[in-house]
Amino acid sequence: MNIFIQILLNSLETGGIYALASLGIILIYRTSNTQNYAQGSLSMFNAFITTFILIKTGLPVGIVAILGMFCAFFVGVLVDRVVISRTLKMHSVSKQIITLGLIMIFLGIAPMIFGTDPLQFPRFLYGSHSVLGATISYNAIVNISVGIIIMLVLFFMLQKSKWGLSVRATASNDVVARMMGIPTPLITMASWAIAAALGTLSALMLAPTTSVNLSMMDGVQVIALLSCVLGGFQTFYGPVVAAYIIGTVSNLLSYYVSSTWSDSILYLLILALILFRPNGLFGKKIVKKV
Amino acid sequence: MHNATQENNNMANNVVLKIDDLSIAFGGLKAVDALTFDIKEKEIFGLIGPNGAGKTTAFNCITQFYKPDRGSVHFRTNKGEVENLVGKKPHEIIRKGLVRTFQNVELIRELSVIDNVLVGSHIEFHASVLSQIFKLPKARKEEAKFRQQAEEVLKYMGLYDIKDQLVAGQPYGVLKKIELARTLMCEPKLIILDEPAAGLNDSETLALTEIIREIRDKYNCAILLVEHDMRFVTDLCDRICAISFGKLLAVGTPQEIQANEQVQTAYLGKGDE
Amino acid sequence: MSKQEKKQAVKAKSNSPYKQYLLFGLVLLLIPVLVHIGVIKYSFLTIIASILIYSIVALGVNLLVGYSGLVSLGTAGFMGMGTYLAAYFTADLKLPFEISLIISVAVPMIIGVVTGLVSLRIEGYYLAIATLAISEILRKVFVEFDVVTNGFSGKDADYPTMLGFFELDRNSTFILIVVILIAVMFITHNFINSYTGRALSTMRGSEAAAQAMGINIYRYRLLSFAVAVGYAALGGVLYIHFIKYTYPNAWTLLFSLNILAVIIIGGVRSIPGTILGAFIVFGVPDLILKNLPVIGDIDGLAYVFNGVLIIVVILLYPAGLIHFWHNTKMKLAKGRKGKEGNHA
Repeated sequence: MNIFIQILLNSLETGGIYALASLGIILIYRTSNTQNYAQGSLSMFNAFITTFILIKTGLPVGIVAILGMFCAFFVGVLVDRVVISRTLKMHSVSKQIITLGLIMIFLGIAPMIFGTDPLQFPRFLYGSHSVLGATISYNAIVNISVGIIIMLVLFFMLQKSKWGLSVRATASNDVVARMMGIPTPLITMASWAIAAALGTLSALMLAPTTSVNLSMMDGVQVIALLSCVLGGFQTFYGPVVAAYIIGTVSNLLSYYVSSTWSDSILYLLILALILFRPNGLFGKKIVKKV
Repeated sequence: MHNATQENNNMANNVVLKIDDLSIAFGGLKAVDALTFDIKEKEIFGLIGPNGAGKTTAFNCITQFYKPDRGSVHFRTNKGEVENLVGKKPHEIIRKGLVRTFQNVELIRELSVIDNVLVGSHIEFHASVLSQIFKLPKARKEEAKFRQQAEEVLKYMGLYDIKDQLVAGQPYGVLKKIELARTLMCEPKLIILDEPAAGLNDSETLALTEIIREIRDKYNCAILLVEHDMRFVTDLCDRICAISFGKLLAVGTPQEIQANEQVQTAYLGKGDE
Repeated sequence: MSKQEKKQAVKAKSNSPYKQYLLFGLVLLLIPVLVHIGVIKYSFLTIIASILIYSIVALGVNLLVGYSGLVSLGTAGFMGMGTYLAAYFTADLKLPFEISLIISVAVPMIIGVVTGLVSLRIEGYYLAIATLAISEILRKVFVEFDVVTNGFSGKDADYPTMLGFFELDRNSTFILIVVILIAVMFITHNFINSYTGRALSTMRGSEAAAQAMGINIYRYRLLSFAVAVGYAALGGVLYIHFIKYTYPNAWTLLFSLNILAVIIIGGVRSIPGTILGAFIVFGVPDLILKNLPVIGDIDGLAYVFNGVLIIVVILLYPAGLIHFWHNTKMKLAKGRKGKEGNHA
């Protein structure tokens, strides 16, 4: 029982990391119809920047993380202005490939600037507490709550704010949204900026356990995409919920089945599942216009 | 006018397509609502209605690009059997002998005119992949045979001179003709034309009237078309079905339709003509 | 070939390029000779051979991206699988090269088809995600399944032995690669120009038209994906028998991206474009960038180079760099036409 609770607590943390990354992907997908394969490498790159700030300034970790997210925000804006804003009318395959090109750029630039050695990023807090016979680190509590709070704020804004309305309008039909006077290119840019910040946060949460290195986000990128598949590409909350489910199942698999093969089994399970739910757990069927 | 309780398979011998109670709704909006009519063999049948009346949607329901919510589409296949098309996949429809064009001209820009037309006989090709990649005699013969057939069709449509040009950059009227030529490659029983005269000038439209009649006689097939140009429709069609807001208004000869009061209000009240 | 004929070849796209392919093959066959006389460095042959192998792989991916509009991120996984299987069959099980070749291509194809069967039923981009996941699983297998793969330390193989007795050396293996590449170019050309190729073009140009003309989109997508996987595995088999060594980290996502870069940069839906792209993506970094003073030593330069080139080409020259070549040829042809007078 203790172990089960321990696994659930861990899953909240890993699920949160996946959820932040997948929320970024779905935000970009819905507002610019682009599958963003570069979410992971973009986050990895910004994690390097953040760690660099930490090393150079020695400021408290929490503040550095916030600074890092700001940097990420601007990197996101830069990516959109320089590249993505020029692709809006392109075929979706071209857009996908553009983000694949971005991966190569981030993976190439990171070692040029920050060197090839992995860097260490510390936890936000040290120490731990025991709940119901399971231990949870203070850092995990921070990660879980920060992740949930940020996502709740975002969902609240999506539903209630003017920005949220614009995003939802762009997502449901960008042509109509443009005609209604919504500045869709600006909305797309904001999505890239926010996605970059969210991804960076997820990378920083992951960093203490993996170190900051070129491949740190590879697994997260795959799982975040699969979260979108599992949750469906039609809603914002679907991928987030799916990310928590995947986080939990992944931890259960690695404890009860095999820690080596847990991710592989998980991938196969999800791929098999879409046979039965082609539009994901929360997706709806869309009729294509001819 | 029509008896909806009529037995489905009980299709009169001279009927090629019989749609019954066809309905589809998008988010509560009934785009096609209990539509019922039939088309006889070798008949040129027009479907008319104001913009947004659901004509193209009806086409898409018949050719299974949309899955109708209700109703049936019975079709006498080129093997002489009567089959309900509802539930079949869109790519299975042409094998039954029903072929269509599109409102927005769906041609492949990067292919030559003749290659586009050859796509129309896709279902007639049978050479294996191996035979194709090694250009074995079977694949060559097949290709040559249909290429010749395509050339004949192109000659017939007056497009032979541009057969090796790319489709990209051709004028709209030519594109419409190429798309029509493509439908002639598969020995159709029924051709569905979505606005065949759109973008054509008066003399071209007149020529098209002739061509469509000739196609009907030469290929022994029925033709179902949607068109805005009322004169074109009344000149060409044997019978016309008028619909508005997805619902059937009237079916009859062009003269009957023109005299029909409901049709007149639909057109004068909300029409764009 | 007279000038007149050449001009017609430029005009009519359907004219067969077999002669050009053969000529290209003959030029490639000169390379071992030049290495032998000492005109070119020994290592040059390895680089060229790798480029040719990558060209084969990229031709398959080009078919997939160019004609089906699908992206596969599993190229590395499937090619890697080809290398491991061929190494295992020939080095460990001592199977004949030819049999090993067939199985090593067939097994990845079966796995590819199963992946495709699942993911292609839905939206096109599901294939990219599914192949990304499958590629990750395969890499895990390369690392963990060490009975066959020898884990992180990698696996060795030797030059192939043809027909059971004809042992190839470095040069003859190079010739084998050239022959297979040219054969693959022929086959791909025929495939694209067959009714199947037309169906693929139609599918890409208009799904609605394809369906209306009786083209089963699901089946043709699956076919093009199977071809892409088959070419990747074939490339893997050739790779292991020339480079003679394979290890897990060679088959990461970055390799798949490089292959994608090849076709985007060279030219989607173009066979010569693919070859050109392979020379740019894999040749330029190895042959030119590394030899540049100062910046040549920087890690990651090749990735940035290819990444930037992908984006620039998509934004500015969507037809790929081979487009330049065609344009120049057209201009030359037009110029000559002007001089010679009329020829309609």
